[in-house]
Amino acid sequence: MPEDEEENVQPPVLTASVHDVRYFAALLRGVNFVNRATVTVTSRGLTITVEEARTLLGTAFIFADIFDEYAYHSESPPAEQSSQLSQDGDDEQEPEVVDNAAFEIPLNTLIECLNIFGTAGPVSTNNSGDKFKKWRRAEDGSDDDDGDDNGRRGGRRGVSGGGGGPLDAYFGGGSEKRTGMRMSYAGSGYPLTLLIAEDASGPTTTCEITTYEPEPHLELEFDNTRMVLKIILKSSWLREALSELDPSCEKLTFIGNPPPTAGTAARQKQRNLSEPMLRIQAAGTFGSTEMDYPNDRDVLETFECTQTVSFSYRFGHISRTLRALQSSTKTSLRIDEEGLLSLQFLMPSPKPKSATGETTDAFIEFRCLALDDEL
Amino acid sequence: MRFRASVENVPTFFRIIQAIEKLQKKCIIKFTEENMHIICNSDANEGGIQVWSQIRVKSIFTNYRIQSNANNEITLALSSEALLAALRSASASSSATSPFETEDIVMKLAKKNEQAVLSFEISGQNKLGRNVRLAHDVRIEVMKPGDTAKLAEPLCPEPDLHILLPPLQKLRTIVDRLRPMSDILAIRANNNGRLQLSINTEGVKVDTEWTGCTNPKSAFTIHPVVFLLIMCSAQDDSTDEKEEPPDPNHFFSVFVSVRSFLKFLNSHVVSTTTIACICQSHCMILYVYIGDVADAGGVLTFYIPAIIDD
Repeated sequence: MPEDEEENVQPPVLTASVHDVRYFAALLRGVNFVNRATVTVTSRGLTITVEEARTLLGTAFIFADIFDEYAYHSESPPAEQSSQLSQDGDDEQEPEVVDNAAFEIPLNTLIECLNIFGTAGPVSTNNSGDKFKKWRRAEDGSDDDDGDDNGRRGGRRGVSGGGGGPLDAYFGGGSEKRTGMRMSYAGSGYPLTLLIAEDASGPTTTCEITTYEPEPHLELEFDNTRMVLKIILKSSWLREALSELDPSCEKLTFIGNPPPTAGTAARQKQRNLSEPMLRIQAAGTFGSTEMDYPNDRDVLETFECTQTVSFSYRFGHISRTLRALQSSTKTSLRIDEEGLLSLQFLMPSPKPKSATGETTDAFIEFRCLALDDEL
Repeated sequence: MRFRASVENVPTFFRIIQAIEKLQKKCIIKFTEENMHIICNSDANEGGIQVWSQIRVKSIFTNYRIQSNANNEITLALSSEALLAALRSASASSSATSPFETEDIVMKLAKKNEQAVLSFEISGQNKLGRNVRLAHDVRIEVMKPGDTAKLAEPLCPEPDLHILLPPLQKLRTIVDRLRPMSDILAIRANNNGRLQLSINTEGVKVDTEWTGCTNPKSAFTIHPVVFLLIMCSAQDDSTDEKEEPPDPNHFFSVFVSVRSFLKFLNSHVVSTTTIACICQSHCMILYVYIGDVADAGGVLTFYIPAIIDD
């Protein structure tokens, strides 16, 4: 290969390592509903994008600081880069598009490889929120019998529930073994290489996952100026509502009503007919379900809605988000005029927030097109 | 033909049959004066995996009495599932939730309604101190001495390499992950204590390596039972002063079906020590010791034929 020499000089496009892969694996698992995923590497971190039925787009934003070590070296020659930088002022999208590397990988394979020693399992979804465990346990002890939670996960959670005070994040608490990983990607045409080990004395695993040229993805831009509904709530409120629904449901409708002004509120109270601010409606062959969220700051932390909105989505698509929802703490739900739904889940990082380096929590975003009204 | 024994070590017997049951619905058990041999040799098995085991009578039974015209040996074919069910009720008694406490489990050969059975009589006491008797009859087929003589272990060449495997439970976790990715597993090892499990498909290449495994020089240094087994299987008398392979770093490899290997890994419930032997491009032989190596109560020998991969 003529490029060999060049490759020897050039550092790999991506090198990253982490001593405990569980958080990383949990983020990947959150979007693992379609096997083929596009990984985009930038200097700030990774994004993992998957798409289903040209309708649903799932993206996990994994910031560089969740890794112990993260380095990105652009594949494009520096000359080109500087010319791009000069254009920076004109178009902010442009340099970002150029200065990244993207490839496709079978996501399932990556997750299986990370979990090869069985210590990157779904337990992470729970432990990743160590610092939240207190209130979480108190608030929803029903975690184990959530509708979509399979028995195995329930069992493991039970086991993991034993340890895990907030200090464990510092001391690598518990006797549980952790899987550490070093990941590298040499560039287009090279495999994604993972080096995985549990501890120094144990076995080491080397994985080479074939990468493919990225296929263009669905473009679903969410325009904030055309937003008609915005809600921020604790994930558990949404999780419990959605897990209550029967899997046979076909259609899920989000209905938002503008918050009552002081005058109308009084009138409505008189008529004892206060319109719910948020209603989730599910319909299927065997019946329908309606769930109302009260007008309460404790439930809906943020609620912005200018007009009554109602958009429906295929339940099959919404249920794809459940895995991410499970392990998230906060959810932002936005809908624009066209009915494009954006669900963002904040995934709490297990790393302690230190005074010097602020750790950015990763998040997973889903965008979903609405069903046509007459369906 | 007479046969009667008390099952003393139910948990071990139970676990052995548990491992066997996952492999094959029917198995053959041959009782001799000294040993119990459990054999799974059906060709119908996935990937042609076979088990030939030898368990010392002393390690499981007491009051063992056997008599037959065929050199005091009795060979039975029976459903491993039914046997497991009988042993389950016998072993359930050791758990706290059990309704009764077992005192004695007698296993004997009997004939009921013209049907030969292996009868398990479990007697014990319930919580109130009353006596409880429980009987399980497992239908059997007594094999004729002629058919028994035809049973033969697979012939294998002298293994290229012996290596002590890491705990099977751990191996199983890893192989479980590999199964969805590939049908074929490559097992490589050298005489320098290195062992590799790998898969290689179009989409992914995964290599897991252990270093610092033990290479028993020949199985003889481990235990005479194994030595004998190797002698039988290899038909070779020159094991005692076998010269070292020229390069200890040379890897010997064998390709096996992932599913067959997983079936072998089910034996993690009984294993303490496992020695793997690689006969390059021929087969893999695995000796799973029951109990402590120094005083092995028996050994399960798994033969996994190699997949010839070009």
